[in-house]
Amino acid sequence: MGRASATLLAIALVLAASAARAGDTVNGRAFTEIGAYQDSVAVSVLTPSVGATVESPTAGWGANALYLVDMVSAASPDIVATASKRWSEVRHAGNVGAKYKPGTFGVSVAGNASYTPDYLALGASGRVTQELDEKNLTLTAGYGYGHDTIGRTGTPWSVFSNELDYHSFVGGLSRVVNNALVLSGQGEVIVERGDQSKPYRFVPMFAPSVAPTIAPGASVDQVANARISARPLEQLPLARERYALTLRMALRLAASTIRLDQRGYVDSWEQRATTTDFRWMFDAGRRVIWWPRLRLHAQNGASFWQRAYAATSARDLPALRTGDRELSPLVNATAGGGVRLALGAPGDLDGWVLTATGEGTHTWFLDTIYVKDRWSALVTVGLEVGF
Amino acid sequence: MRLAVRRHALALLAAAALISTTAGCRHVRPYDRGKLAHPTMTGVGEPGPSAEHVYAVHEGAVGGSATAESGCGCN
Repeated sequence: MGRASATLLAIALVLAASAARAGDTVNGRAFTEIGAYQDSVAVSVLTPSVGATVESPTAGWGANALYLVDMVSAASPDIVATASKRWSEVRHAGNVGAKYKPGTFGVSVAGNASYTPDYLALGASGRVTQELDEKNLTLTAGYGYGHDTIGRTGTPWSVFSNELDYHSFVGGLSRVVNNALVLSGQGEVIVERGDQSKPYRFVPMFAPSVAPTIAPGASVDQVANARISARPLEQLPLARERYALTLRMALRLAASTIRLDQRGYVDSWEQRATTTDFRWMFDAGRRVIWWPRLRLHAQNGASFWQRAYAATSARDLPALRTGDRELSPLVNATAGGGVRLALGAPGDLDGWVLTATGEGTHTWFLDTIYVKDRWSALVTVGLEVGF
Repeated sequence: MRLAVRRHALALLAAAALISTTAGCRHVRPYDRGKLAHPTMTGVGEPGPSAEHVYAVHEGAVGGSATAESGCGCN
């Protein structure tokens, strides 16, 4: 991971440095954020992050970097069901990027890496942008490649690991409709190849006559008493194609801005989803912006999703099986808001910016064992400084 | 078969979006872009890294989260 990250960082710096010229105006910003997440199924996450951007608006170049740590602690029913102790993990992740757009045509590259003792993800992407019609129309196209290595904590990658490759193709456009309205759309196709089954995720099996009687939300004890002894690991299909289309609207009113995003999604596992994200941001003087936020996500289950899988023995298992609740039918409703305070000196109000957000989500799991719903809360505080 | 139908539907939806965003637009000159350059039109309020990760974990769908630049003429 270190060599790949260093290479990407070097590419970003070389691109930025080669684009820089003496006398260019250079703006820099550094930022940090800490996020705290807690939910009702005993999962908590603390996520500090730091990052920086530098760019020259006159020369058109820019570079950015971000590093974050996820500290996860979990004792969800899935973990209790395997008689395991509370589980903790630290994830390190980062990304770097560079862009160069001296005129109406621009190019950008980015790289990302994420590491836990049992999961390594590396990715790189590139994107080109063309502005047309005096910047009233912007077209974008891009490609990304990623490679994940999925292992087990304490077991060398060489002894056990699954590999997952993914290719992402992106196309988008953004249209200035009038002097207060921008509409944009982006389509993305992601092709995944490899085994992304979780090597810790055991799936309970039930006798064919018992499986239909397992009710949604059946407790750990109920499942333990009803299941057969065979409890295989998850097995997912080895290929997946995902298709997403997002339409966005940004409308500036007299002293507020409405932003609305709508995403439609389908994939080759026959999962379909819709996600709507709404923010209405209000100016409260020159230093304060605040906003309420609503997000609604609904999806059906993957084609092979079953609340209770039927099997007669370990020699008669369903070929595809999972306990991943995010592959089940569910509805997420999120409500919250945020505030942005510009704390800089007069004449440079954005020299220091403090941003805080808070939101709560309720998830209805429509066809799962162990839990029928989940409450979660996320609070973030960020500080940004210009240099 | 059903997936092929969905792919065509997605392509049609994209084409409809393209047409709808180019029809009925007013050409906005560079000097008339004050509202478009407001911070709330260009990134303020976007989910940070923590929120992005939570959505990725909570939702089975991925993709389409980034967008084309607004063309607001800010630089």
